[in-house]
Amino acid sequence: MSEDQSAVATEASRPGLSAGPTSEFSLFFHVKPGEGESIRAALRDLQETPGYRPGDYGMAIASIHEARFVLFDDDTRLAFVTSFDGSWDAYMDDFLTSGPTLALFDAIFSHTEGYDGLPDLAALQAFVLGAQQTAAAYARNYGGTVKEIRKAQRVNDAFQQVLDDPDAADALQHPALKPLLDEAAD
Amino acid sequence: MESNSLELDDIQSGALHERPTPYVGTYLLLRIDDRAAGRELVRRLHGLVDSGKTSQDPAHGAWITAAFTYQGLEALGVPQDSLDSFAPEFRQGMAARAAELGDVGQSSPPNWEKPLGTPDVHVALGVLSSDQARLDAAAERARRAHRELTGVELIWRQDCYQLPTGRTSFGFKDGIGQPSVEGSGLPPSNPKEKPLKAGAIVLGYPDETGELPPMPSPDVLGRNGTYVVFRKLHTKVAAYRRYLRDKAASREEEALLGAKMVGRWQSGAPLALAPDADDPKLGADPQRNNDFLYGDDLRGLKCPAGAHSRRANPRDALDGDGSVDVRLHRMIRRGTSYGPMLPDGELEDDGVDRGIVFVFAGAHLKRQFEFVKTQWLNDGIFVGAPLEKDPLVGTNDGSGRFTIPEVPIRRRLQDLPPFVVTRGGEYCFAPGLRALRWLAELDT
Repeated sequence: MSEDQSAVATEASRPGLSAGPTSEFSLFFHVKPGEGESIRAALRDLQETPGYRPGDYGMAIASIHEARFVLFDDDTRLAFVTSFDGSWDAYMDDFLTSGPTLALFDAIFSHTEGYDGLPDLAALQAFVLGAQQTAAAYARNYGGTVKEIRKAQRVNDAFQQVLDDPDAADALQHPALKPLLDEAAD
Repeated sequence: MESNSLELDDIQSGALHERPTPYVGTYLLLRIDDRAAGRELVRRLHGLVDSGKTSQDPAHGAWITAAFTYQGLEALGVPQDSLDSFAPEFRQGMAARAAELGDVGQSSPPNWEKPLGTPDVHVALGVLSSDQARLDAAAERARRAHRELTGVELIWRQDCYQLPTGRTSFGFKDGIGQPSVEGSGLPPSNPKEKPLKAGAIVLGYPDETGELPPMPSPDVLGRNGTYVVFRKLHTKVAAYRRYLRDKAASREEEALLGAKMVGRWQSGAPLALAPDADDPKLGADPQRNNDFLYGDDLRGLKCPAGAHSRRANPRDALDGDGSVDVRLHRMIRRGTSYGPMLPDGELEDDGVDRGIVFVFAGAHLKRQFEFVKTQWLNDGIFVGAPLEKDPLVGTNDGSGRFTIPEVPIRRRLQDLPPFVVTRGGEYCFAPGLRALRWLAELDT
């Protein structure tokens, strides 16, 4: 993505900064007094959930690049910071009503102030949007959505397999394959 | 306690009623210059609009639907706190949402057909029938409701009718794939899709989230109402035919490319069930032509992920994403054709205006109409193709791209121009019958 595609989304319906197709999404919560240890335990549980374990690369939401929960100020505050493909604002109702993510996050949010639990959609939306802060600066080192990146990785894996074939050098001599040959040397 | 069974007698049937086939219709826009006259109009409309179950009675073969813009409700003297309780998008109106909706350039409000998008549009009437005689009779009733009223002006009229081919100006059978609505009495067209909760379409009932959608106040005004969007969309049929002709080596390939762009063959047969060749029998069979999913075709080898009908309703194709509940974005869509057909085989533009009057009905302007328009039709992020828009109705500018998955090598169409230009439109609210009476009896 070129730089001019990074734009401040000024429409009321699309808060947050974006870089190419991806937008930043950051939430800041207050931990309920005395629940610092419990919320740490809940985050450890999340980290042991399939998809969220180190090396899993399979979070429940397929349109986020990465996500982190950060406890700070002596475990009195919690930040949730992620990068989302598309307009997270448009998908807010989807997050809050569907998919496995909500149940996972419920155990964490229940230790934060202002969270009334599931399933009051309007209250949940107010809770999330009330915690959202737009970044003061946001940049990315690659363009492309998660779906494109995954496709690119599959294509590169396939290309490496081709290069491992003893006949690869001959096969790549065809003029149509020059762009691939240009990438084959290292 | 809210009752979950639809009060069909209080709901204007236009929202839930299936479009007849064939059909003829008229859309009328009115301006209210005098409040008392406006209320008298509403009182008369109350006696004209249709409610209740779909009637098979041939004597009752035309349906009048009445809806109001924000300015219309204001002109009738609806109190400000009530006006403020409507959805923000409705309060802004479609013209103010143009940038968001992709109505830019040729499609931008300054280029719209007057008075669309101006504060003059107050009341929208839709009359739909299966034949001209019944339409004329119903339209005459609607005309009588406003004709002798000084202070109410007819400011726009658009006639629609099904083309002799029974297809859209682009040549495709349409009107397939409506969701069915719980309690509406209409059977589902897709046995694989559960009927939508009534509240997804009509206000005052739980929607797909199990909650009551935000409803304008007071309750008597909001309950049994529905938001209605109408858009007049000019179709550039000659440009569309020329594009296909340029990209295809034969008539068969033209038909295939056209089908890949739409997701259905011209007969209506879905690519998901007829991937290689048109199957007119399938297209004509309402029991089968919508009975499919995309779960066995996630790569889009049969129906491209970017095809128009798959974008508008991805069915189960996004179930693995964990972030999308397609049902939240389902809606009632109704297209009616206007203007004559471009003669078969004609590749040059004849300068005649033709296209579709698109009508949406639903409880959520933002989550249903605007979401599908902005996230699925005008964008490709959701299918991992941010540079691609809907090949048929997307806001392409001559640099559009469309990928057609194919074994062994995908095909990619380049330089897609726009095939649809927005001529204008409005966000409206179609109140229930009690609400119409409430509006007529306002004494502000």
